[in-house]
Amino acid sequence: MSERVSIAQARIERAPMLLKAYGLGSCLAVGLYDPQSGLGGLGHMLLPKRPKHNPIGTDGKYVDAGIYQMVDVLVQEGADRESLIAKIAGGANMFESVHQTLIDSIGARNSKSARETLAALGIPLVGEDVGGNRGRTVEFDLATGIMMVYCARDDCNLSI
Amino acid sequence: MPFRKLNNVQLDILKEVSNIGMGHAATALSQLIGQPVMLRIPHVTITEISQVPDHLGGPEKLMVGITLRILGDARGSIMLLFPQESAHRLLCCLLGKQEKGLVMNELTVSALKEVGNILASAYLSALGSLLNKTLIPSVPMLAYDMAGAVVDYVLIELSENSDLALMVETDFIGEASPDFAVKGHFFLLPDPATLDIFLNVVGEES
Repeated sequence: MSERVSIAQARIERAPMLLKAYGLGSCLAVGLYDPQSGLGGLGHMLLPKRPKHNPIGTDGKYVDAGIYQMVDVLVQEGADRESLIAKIAGGANMFESVHQTLIDSIGARNSKSARETLAALGIPLVGEDVGGNRGRTVEFDLATGIMMVYCARDDCNLSI
Repeated sequence: MPFRKLNNVQLDILKEVSNIGMGHAATALSQLIGQPVMLRIPHVTITEISQVPDHLGGPEKLMVGITLRILGDARGSIMLLFPQESAHRLLCCLLGKQEKGLVMNELTVSALKEVGNILASAYLSALGSLLNKTLIPSVPMLAYDMAGAVVDYVLIELSENSDLALMVETDFIGEASPDFAVKGHFFLLPDPATLDIFLNVVGEES
């Protein structure tokens, strides 16, 4: 069984289930997993932080709010908050010439926001494949907690 | 103005405005590659941001994307997408004999960016004189990867202000021979505030 996680979406499912996020550029895929219960989730997020005033759209669009929301739902569904682990992939800078400035690219800010949010929640980040200028497709297997990362251009596939 | 509230007349105006711009861009491309370039009727799509990669033939399809910001009196992005094989054919037209597959190096990247630059400049200058606005293209940027990854940069920018994307899409086809056609998609993605500027100028108050 597999389900697609589209942009600005976060899905919580139970093993056996394969969650897929296709074609991530600067977007970030955040996978949360509780090995005990086989409950896990994958989010496909666009922006690093939800603005305090008048946020537009769902929590799943923002890295910080999306992670909080996923953790809440996981715990509601019966996951053990203490045994949650996290993996992230994506956050590339596809158009390399864009940000040769002191300000981080949007992809880098997404990864940074994820690290900060996870640290604040005390969830260990056990694997990541972020940055660079490659597009990625992510498959998160809730049976094993393995996150497979596929790249189209140079056929580099890895599991984290 | 929120994209959702656009009426049919306003959508038609956007189509026509884009058609005029694209006409100029097609002429420029035709001169560049030495073959006639046909335009499809533009279509305007208002869609959830998350659906945009599917409109481009699926998020994993390999594409060359060239994107520019529109600067000046109006803001927005232009995205020019070439499927892998079309980008290769385009390079054959521009640079002569090429290797079998699409190879990205300094020369090919630069040539494709220049195509983007020429098309966007022709498009924006036609649009600008029609609307009596100054529209300037930024330096073009290029990425060759999965369609989803190529467009999400533009979507992120858009998503800070809106959950919907307005895409004015025009397909163009070089007509050398049917199996050697250069196909491309040209997208205008105006920022929400810019839409008012376009519509006000043509007398359609929002």
